[in-house]
Amino acid sequence: MQTHREMNFDALVVGGGIAGLQAALDLADQNFKVAVVEKDASIGGKMIRLSKVFPTLDCASCITTPKMAASAHHENITLFTYCDLKSISRESDTVLAARVVQKPRYVEADKCIGCRQCEYGCPVHVPDPEQGNFSMRKAIYIPFSNAIPQIALMDVENCSLCGKCAKVCPTGAVNYFQQPEELVIRAKTAVLATGFRLTPLDQKPEYGKGKILNVISSLDMERLLAPHGPYQRVLRPSDGKEPDAIAYVQCAGSRDKTLGVSYCSRVCCMYAIKQAMLLSGALPLADITIYYMDIRAFGKGYEQFFQNAKAMGIEFVKAKIAKIEQADNQSVRLRYEDQEGAGAVMEREHDLVVLSLGMVPEWHPEGICPVGCDTDAFIRTPMSRLSPTLTDMEGVFVAGVAAGPKDIVDTIAEAGAAAMEASNYLNKLNKKAAA
Amino acid sequence: MNETDKKSQKEALKALRVQRKASIERARNAVKEQNKRVKAIVAALKDGAKTVPEIAAATGFSTPETLLYVATLKKYGRVGEGPKDGDYFKYELLESKAGA
Ligand SMILES: Cc1cc2nc3c(=O)[nH]c(=O)nc-3n(C[C@H](O)[C@H](O)[C@H](O)COP(=O)(O)OP(=O)(O)OC[C@H]3O[C@@H](n4cnc5c(N)ncnc54)[C@H](O)[C@@H]3O)c2cc1C
Repeated sequence: MQTHREMNFDALVVGGGIAGLQAALDLADQNFKVAVVEKDASIGGKMIRLSKVFPTLDCASCITTPKMAASAHHENITLFTYCDLKSISRESDTVLAARVVQKPRYVEADKCIGCRQCEYGCPVHVPDPEQGNFSMRKAIYIPFSNAIPQIALMDVENCSLCGKCAKVCPTGAVNYFQQPEELVIRAKTAVLATGFRLTPLDQKPEYGKGKILNVISSLDMERLLAPHGPYQRVLRPSDGKEPDAIAYVQCAGSRDKTLGVSYCSRVCCMYAIKQAMLLSGALPLADITIYYMDIRAFGKGYEQFFQNAKAMGIEFVKAKIAKIEQADNQSVRLRYEDQEGAGAVMEREHDLVVLSLGMVPEWHPEGICPVGCDTDAFIRTPMSRLSPTLTDMEGVFVAGVAAGPKDIVDTIAEAGAAAMEASNYLNKLNKKAAA
Repeated sequence: MNETDKKSQKEALKALRVQRKASIERARNAVKEQNKRVKAIVAALKDGAKTVPEIAAATGFSTPETLLYVATLKKYGRVGEGPKDGDYFKYELLESKAGA
């Protein structure tokens, strides 16, 4: 039987990426009670899945994990992970109600100690999207090594119900009969921090529709570069070769009206440069080429970062790639117009090609929350100049990429601003109630 | 857990198995196929460390599938990375059989 719980908080944060966690921490530090609702089994969003971050090349995990842990341990923050947000509506002038279904993990959260005995014991292997599907996990698993919370979950679609996990679990945490739990979370204010996803790898017919070996997404490359990645080094996924020639195709999903993404995703130039630098560290003999339309190095220290990359020998070729094809020996052939030379059509082959795909919203509020969206589908900010975190719904604020593509620095700044707006709103409500 | 609890748990599991018949069947078949691949790769590595293309040639699996399994066996501690041979790393069996 499905269980049902109702709870009251001062603020609701939707999305436990870096934007949501920063907003939650800033509100919780001001003594407001905060609920964070996250759809994944772990908080941390994209940032915890990155290798290092531009422009400082800090290890992403080293700077994200403390924020994740601080949120998990904060006395004023309650995390709800693995949740399906069904609706957010206004119940009264002062109350918003979120209806949420917490999906069953089939593992009891208060008993699981994250020892992974169940995972080691499970006989079923399943390709792991957390690792770009380059390696496999089990049908019962800890989401990833630096996940918070470190609680296992079972993928029932792939479970053979052999009973081994329950047998090896030292705390009796496996519960095959766990049911979804319906939650009603009431709060006076909300911050939407639902972030982004990349445009699909198989979207463009001229880029091979995702069928060409060794054409991967930029987030896949983050995994290859991460210390806990699928191979723990950079190998090409078709056969384990250490690549000699790696290319980046910029604007592979942005600034492209045919894909409905006419805007610039803002961070791709910088993350491609970052990854190129990390690759030249990991593979000092490899040739790394970035095919770009123009380089947008907009933030503090970013132009210098670009210049450093050039000085390191990374090749920048001004060209929009017209076609991507499979070549011999599992290589990838790129065809482009040589814009800085004689304008001839050129062809070059690389061992591994990374598509800098576009950023699109992860969440579409339509039918779930009556908050407006812009023509680019990101959440509308009607006062984008003076109060960029205001939405068109009173008491509901937005932070991070949910409002439009941006880097981590801008995301954190915006999350702080959203928390400030939410805190002002709460103080006003509380004053009114006291009067 | 007392005897009655154990019995009702068994009954409930039985009912769950009926309810999830289709996915259980799929998972069991997947395990069989996966075990065949793991066995073949382990057998190929018994006579010495090999690169992914060498393992693929020995087992008849495609190179992308071979790497997927090798990466997984490495993650669960059954295979380790050996020395480099040209552009490829060799993989070798490890003593422990944990998890894969
Ligand atoms: C390949 C790549 C590399 C990058 N490298 C860098 C870098 O080096 N430096 C840098 O500054 N920036 C980098 N970025 C940008 C960076 O990833 C973003 O700025 C940052 O992740 C934005 O954080 P966010 O919290 O707004 O969104 P996200 O990280 O997307 O987090 C959103 C969270 O909300 C959750 N969510 C979504 N919908 C719902 C829902 N309906 N209910 C509940 N939860 C929901 C998601 O599961 C997720 O946890 C990179 C981006 C890419 C694609």
